[in-house]
Amino acid sequence: MAIITLTKTPTRPAPLSETSMLGWMRKSLFSSWFNGALTIFTLYIIYITLQGVYIWGFADATFVADNRRACYDISLTGACWAGVIDWMDNIFYGRYPREDIWRIDLGGLLLILWMAPMWMRKVKGKIWIGVTVVTFYPFLAGYLFAGGDKGLFMQLMIAAALVALPANVINMLLGLFKDQSLGQVLQGFVAKFSRDEKVQRNLLLAVVALSLVIAFVLQSQWQEVAVSWTKWGGLFLTLAIAGIGIACSLPGGILLALGRRSKLPIIRILSTGFIEIFRSVPLITVLFMATTMFPLFMPEGFVLNKLTQVIIAVCLFNACYMAETVRAGLQAIPKGQYEGAHTIGLGYWGTMGFVIMPQALKYMIPNIVGNFIGLLKDTTLVSIIGLFDLLGMLRSISKDVPWLGLHKEPLIFGAIVFFIFCFSMSKYSRHLEAKLETSNKN
Amino acid sequence: MTDTTAATQTKGQLSSAASSEVIIEINQMNKWYGDFHVLRDINLTLHKGERIVICGPSGSGKSTLIRCINALEEHQEGDILVDGILLGENLKNLDHIRTEVGMVFQNFNLFPHLTILENLTLGPIWVRKMSKADAIENAMDYLKRVKIPEQANKYPGQLSGGQQQRVAIARSLCMSPKIMLFDEPTSALDPEMIKEVLDVMIELADTGMSMIVVTHEMAFAKTIADRVIFMDEGDIVEENEPNAFFENPQHARTQLFLSQIL
Repeated sequence: MAIITLTKTPTRPAPLSETSMLGWMRKSLFSSWFNGALTIFTLYIIYITLQGVYIWGFADATFVADNRRACYDISLTGACWAGVIDWMDNIFYGRYPREDIWRIDLGGLLLILWMAPMWMRKVKGKIWIGVTVVTFYPFLAGYLFAGGDKGLFMQLMIAAALVALPANVINMLLGLFKDQSLGQVLQGFVAKFSRDEKVQRNLLLAVVALSLVIAFVLQSQWQEVAVSWTKWGGLFLTLAIAGIGIACSLPGGILLALGRRSKLPIIRILSTGFIEIFRSVPLITVLFMATTMFPLFMPEGFVLNKLTQVIIAVCLFNACYMAETVRAGLQAIPKGQYEGAHTIGLGYWGTMGFVIMPQALKYMIPNIVGNFIGLLKDTTLVSIIGLFDLLGMLRSISKDVPWLGLHKEPLIFGAIVFFIFCFSMSKYSRHLEAKLETSNKN
Repeated sequence: MTDTTAATQTKGQLSSAASSEVIIEINQMNKWYGDFHVLRDINLTLHKGERIVICGPSGSGKSTLIRCINALEEHQEGDILVDGILLGENLKNLDHIRTEVGMVFQNFNLFPHLTILENLTLGPIWVRKMSKADAIENAMDYLKRVKIPEQANKYPGQLSGGQQQRVAIARSLCMSPKIMLFDEPTSALDPEMIKEVLDVMIELADTGMSMIVVTHEMAFAKTIADRVIFMDEGDIVEENEPNAFFENPQHARTQLFLSQIL
């Protein structure tokens, strides 16, 4: 017998157990006698832990005291945050001259100003923001932090940064308020003078060149007192090493990964050898090699300061790890993607740059950010070779006479600082993943 | 299209636009995968505007053959001339040939991280050096031809298989190729979507495009093919015009194959 349904079965709302909070609790927390007991027991453990932390860290803690003795006089059972607070400037800026601390703050603010448009949906030309910040900001910030005399190359890069930064800010404002990009506005501007594309291009180049010249003249007036790298320290040093490491390791890793998968045998063997050597040695060994062995191999009179050596070592080491991460991403891309790119005539760099890399990097975001987090935490190793990074500074609190033996509080404070940075990176990576997800929108 | 010299045949709705001008010539081509001899002494010519359908059991080398034509696979012996250019070591030639030969794959091979419009304009902008505005206009034209202009700003993952395959065809056409190769374009599709893709291909054949199609859709082959080629174990076993091929297959292997799939 035939069965024919003539009326469509109407849609009904889901049962309450699927949608209400009570339903969820019943299903996930109290589904059986035993599970209910477990839930209550776990809640109790969480409660007493949090209570202990609260009493030690806040209720009984001392925030103002002259020394550790005074802390104990006020409260024996609480934390002595006074020592950490007393050292706060050192923890953040190391031994950087106190009257020049504004230079570090300004550098940080400029970076935030430069990067902020990346998170604004209405602003256009994000690729350019990323490229300029990676290429020019390190030089501007480097001079701001180190000061002293500028070489010609440094002067040129600072001039470029002084053009790129305002351009970026204007681009941001245009994007936010007029829904345009700086490029569009400039194109509209030159279109008023001539309809010929060549003339327009030359005019644009002239505008850029003129601003570069003005910036160059301006920056030649700018002089900062030199601050030796030995005075850098604290969170500032940690972030400087990690920041440069992050900015170098991704492009370096991409190049090494491409090299390792290259069809040209010499490039492949060199890249593979380089990666495997660095990966088979602990970072601390690389750091020691960089600071003690490296100068032996260099020509007479060629002296790099210890900080530069450390930064180079961190960059190379992490580029090798990044290379393996990127390679894993490359291997996840099906062969058909290469073939699709070839059939529309894209060559090697076009295929890699437009088709393969964007997908591979997208797949690998969790691992790449994982590497970044590892890098940030690994920078604490530089305290072993005598740089006073965040960890080095925190540990010297316990050697300072008034706070002799104060270990726990500084280290807990350090853990909180690291947690804030690492957790925000990992949150941001989740956000990026969600934003770039295009394949499963079926 | 010029069809002055070649005999104009009429089969089904379509008339051939084949001219005497040779656009692909394959002479005594051989290919091995390691020790395995995949393609054996292949000789094939495609005239401008001609449509060839290649069929055969799986593993017979039909896909490998058309993948050799745009150098996705290397051949070891013999010559392949595409549009008068010899395929070989010269990488410049290779890039040139790939822009002249469009290819549509079984699995579409669209770029999932780009929108449909970006998929279509990537080649024209970066390889053909078109301006962005021209490339978009061009792409929208082709999207209209494959009847999905409204999907331009979606991602491939949001489209059905049939729509994705039509986008893939449009992506190839955006490069204005002289030859189109189709590698089992409907094999990965749900049955209800096969027709929409075949219709687009028939329309394309109507415009006089030179085409080589690997397919198991025999009704489609009868409609558009000027010649049908049957391959088995790396050999071209039988080659004939479609009426004769389907009505009166000569080789025992062809007869067996046709009896199994028709």
